[in-house]
Amino acid sequence: MNSSHLNPSSSLKSRFTTRFLRALTRINARKPISPSSPREIFQRYRRIKVAADKSMASSVRSRRTWSRATLWKLRSRSCLQLASLGRRRSVKTSTITSRQAIMKKTSHEIENKTTTEEDHQDRFVGQADKLRELVPGGEAMDLCNLLDETAHYIKCLTTQVQLMRKIVDFYSL
Amino acid sequence: MATRSNGTASDRGEVEVLESLQFTDEIQHLMSAPTTDNAGFFTALLELPAPQAVQLLHSPESAKLIAAPVPNVEDFKGSFHFPSNSGLIERAARFSVFAGEGNNNTKKSNSPETTSNISSANLEKAVKSEPAESESSQPLVSDPTVEKRSIKRKDREKKVKESKKKSKTAANESSEDAEKLPYVHVRARRGQATDSHSLAERARREKINARMKLLQELVPGCNKISGTALVLDEIINHVQSLQHQVEFLSMRLAAVNPRIDFNLDSIFTAESGSIIDCNFPSMVMPMMWPEVQVNGNRQQYQQQWHFDALQQPVWGREEVCNNYITPENSLLSYDSSTNSVTLHSNQLKMEL
Repeated sequence: MNSSHLNPSSSLKSRFTTRFLRALTRINARKPISPSSPREIFQRYRRIKVAADKSMASSVRSRRTWSRATLWKLRSRSCLQLASLGRRRSVKTSTITSRQAIMKKTSHEIENKTTTEEDHQDRFVGQADKLRELVPGGEAMDLCNLLDETAHYIKCLTTQVQLMRKIVDFYSL
Repeated sequence: MATRSNGTASDRGEVEVLESLQFTDEIQHLMSAPTTDNAGFFTALLELPAPQAVQLLHSPESAKLIAAPVPNVEDFKGSFHFPSNSGLIERAARFSVFAGEGNNNTKKSNSPETTSNISSANLEKAVKSEPAESESSQPLVSDPTVEKRSIKRKDREKKVKESKKKSKTAANESSEDAEKLPYVHVRARRGQATDSHSLAERARREKINARMKLLQELVPGCNKISGTALVLDEIINHVQSLQHQVEFLSMRLAAVNPRIDFNLDSIFTAESGSIIDCNFPSMVMPMMWPEVQVNGNRQQYQQQWHFDALQQPVWGREEVCNNYITPENSLLSYDSSTNSVTLHSNQLKMEL
């Protein structure tokens, strides 16, 4: 990992763990630890999921496209939640139109590719779209960078899953 | 005459006019040598002295010139033998083969050796292909050969390429170099287009394949799968499963959390213990291991937390974490002592 070269103590794992645990404490402090109703649990789940994604993305510190995209998404979402309904709609449409513009650009690129490349590249393109949906921020990337981002994303996701599982195991003991 | 021209050539290799003259002189030299078949022609070429061979190789620019040599060459129309024609064309092919290499590697000593190595196979192929062309129109052979040389260089290189593996590897390297050269010395493999677009795309494809290999190593169980489409499917499934796992775990956390008091002390100790016990080969830095081995089990942690001496070197490295301590302290109002928390957090970060 790039981060580990700089300072061995501030590895991705440690950064993620500290941030995530901090966020968990914040969530627990905000809401009383009472609810058994599924709605409350669902709200907590959403908050925790957001906290997990956010802490992972900020541990990567926007060095990667996917982390920047995740942080941007989360921040815009929080802005939407804070804003009023009317403003919310306009912001949503703006994001949608920007997304559409990006999608158009990538689809145009993809068309150019399919006409010139071999058959197995066509299969690439079809699956690359799926990958673009999965990896945050993958819409506006060409295949080469997309594969790079996917590799880093998989690494970080694996870390996240392992650490979260540890936390959950500890709690369920 | 030939030696004189060769001498001038070796001195000023870049003068186009001189080289064109040398070229014509070489043609004369070639024609004077009695040759009737391909093998004989090959040996005739090899018998050329080293400087001549070198000069042959290092006059690629002359091959590109169409205007200058044409009038001189036409004089030899009548006495042009079939092998000489093929020899011209072969040499043109060889020139173009080594044009890229010659521009990049200015090692005159290597070129004649490589010529001899590769020229044999090349000559076989080139000679076989060229006779058909040269036989068609004998009187006009001079112009079309000279022009064909520049126009059909790519085709010849294609055939040259498929001859040997050595030439193939050289082609790969020179194709990379060719992109940087002002002239488009394209190294095309058999059955592939030779324009710069496909070159760039081929480079792109190679990059993509390299990254696919990396991804294959990351995703467990992908090494056995062959075929890029299946590998991509596997990767997509893996990413989806990881994302679902994150969702499930956060759901579990949401459900589990209310039951237990959120005690950071115990969390940190358990975290450090469990994380160290497990094996994260890709994540854990080797520098952390000496620290880990010193702190064998949890009880040792608790003892060492009170040892300031141990903390001194720890603190020295933990400059970044000092910023984390204050917000954590503000949040952890129910904690027993802030000191222990800071120690715990530092210890945890060290262990991780």
